[in-house]
Amino acid sequence: MILKVENLHKIYKNGTHALKGINFEVKKGEFLVIIGLSGSGKSTLLRCINRLVEPTAGRVKFLGKDITHVTGEELRKVKTQIGMVFQHFNLINRHSVLKNVISGKLGQMKTLNSIFGNFTDDIYEEAYRNLDIVGIKEKAKERANSLSGGQQQRVAIARSLMQSPKLLLADEPVASLDPATSNSVMKFFEKVNKEFGTTVICNLHFLSLVRRFATRVIALKSGEIIYEGEPSEIDENWFKTIYGDEAEEVEIR
Amino acid sequence: MINKTEVDQSPLDIIRQNQRLEERANFIKAIFLDIFFVFYSILVLQRAIYYKFILDLREIPFSWGSILTIFLISVFIGTGWTFTRTSLSCKLFGIAKDNKVTKWTVEISGWFLFNITFIAGWIITKLSIVDLFSPEGVQGAERLFGALFRPEFGIFDDALFAMIETIYIALLATLISIPITLVISFFTARNLMKGSKITFAVYFVLRLVLNFIRSIEPLIWAIIFSVWVGIGPFAGMIALLVHTIASNAKLYSEAIEGIEQGPVEAITATGANKIQVVWYAVVPQIVLPFLSFTIYRWDINVRMATIIGLVGGGGIGTMLMQYQGLARWHEVGLIVLMIALVVWIMDYISAKIREAIY
Repeated sequence: MILKVENLHKIYKNGTHALKGINFEVKKGEFLVIIGLSGSGKSTLLRCINRLVEPTAGRVKFLGKDITHVTGEELRKVKTQIGMVFQHFNLINRHSVLKNVISGKLGQMKTLNSIFGNFTDDIYEEAYRNLDIVGIKEKAKERANSLSGGQQQRVAIARSLMQSPKLLLADEPVASLDPATSNSVMKFFEKVNKEFGTTVICNLHFLSLVRRFATRVIALKSGEIIYEGEPSEIDENWFKTIYGDEAEEVEIR
Repeated sequence: MINKTEVDQSPLDIIRQNQRLEERANFIKAIFLDIFFVFYSILVLQRAIYYKFILDLREIPFSWGSILTIFLISVFIGTGWTFTRTSLSCKLFGIAKDNKVTKWTVEISGWFLFNITFIAGWIITKLSIVDLFSPEGVQGAERLFGALFRPEFGIFDDALFAMIETIYIALLATLISIPITLVISFFTARNLMKGSKITFAVYFVLRLVLNFIRSIEPLIWAIIFSVWVGIGPFAGMIALLVHTIASNAKLYSEAIEGIEQGPVEAITATGANKIQVVWYAVVPQIVLPFLSFTIYRWDINVRMATIIGLVGGGGIGTMLMQYQGLARWHEVGLIVLMIALVVWIMDYISAKIREAIY
């Protein structure tokens, strides 16, 4: 068991009750996909796992250890083991692709070394290797914002790989990409999942992608889990329950 | 508002409790604001409109007793007004009843406040169209303008030298301010400092000090420093420096507060520490705005340096003051012309540089 979430609540300061008692477990090597409408709490859930957002109540257990209340150095240790990829890539636009990838290693570097840019050859090698995995080694010297959306997201994946993460969180990683690019970016998550055995938890919108990549699915609706199971089991009825009666499934390949 | 001790409470209770607290806080704020509105209205009506305009008194009678009476009356009326839940402040803080009475009170009291403020302003500034177009006044202005437009070029060398001094005063004040401001601005950025109570206290105190320094005009600083370090360019430079640090620290820290949170989130998620997050996610986003503010500030400082000279800060301003004191308007004309030219050139250059770096 790599992750266990127990009775997790999140209430924002403005009173929004984003998560209402979430319970689930994730086994090592799984590709778990979380689906649900915008505002259903998917992003909050991911951010509660790596503590970018502080949960209000409940417990998160990572590798058997309760990480809900760890702080300081210990919390940073936990964070270095959990990679994260975001919808808007969140790269440093003015930095080179290489420097962006290396920044994934910051948690394991000495502060002074990182500020003066003293990176060891090992780190450079690892960065190039990770860029190679996502297939954009030749872009290493270019500025991050000169790349296309799909390429930027691949840089973000390479950045998270620098952490050698046990768990990779992906918050709607393809929501700002076109369908063809979406598919290719998702394939890199699959590659990471299959080749390195990294557990992946990914928020997604498109059911066709869910069916293609997920080993298990959780559906959220207004902060509660309303479905948990195999991706193939999501039929027309479930789809309408999750996304509302108005919804119609859109195919992307 | 949610502490760890409350974690075991039911979440719904926390929501309700938060709502109650917020509503109560808003109600108290509304009472204070309503009292202020009433107090202000009565004061303006009595002092500016009744005493000054209607009775046309030279000396306005003043006693703390009458002010206190007015204040007590306002407390009474203002509080009562808030309790009706139809007052202007209730509307502003979103706790007003949603009915016709509220709508009308808000509209009428809003208009009332605006109008008495405008009328009081008119009376206090002694706005007079007659003075503006009186024949003697216009004649005097014509004489002065005539002299200014026929500048005396005999003092060109001296003026040029003084002008160069002014430009260097501004340049040095700007250059020295950069490293100091840079360090301060990180400690006055809300988003970086709100984490713990200690850092927030530092933030709060620093902001307070900077606000205080900034609210004192460079002109006053120049007077202070001309006593401190003696009249001359050094006093002017250090006066500008102090004010530049205080103003730019605000602009810099606002730039820090306005950065995109995405990269910060991403770097935090890698397990990087606070310093690394600032260096990798914050700094790259603020380099350009910082540069731009600083160059713009140099431009402002050149303009201010001329003014600061008026009170003994050295440079062209001091020269202007001397000739103006002697009523030698042709020489003043040359100096004014020179200042205008340099300011215009600086303005143009700084705009071009700022365009180029973006």
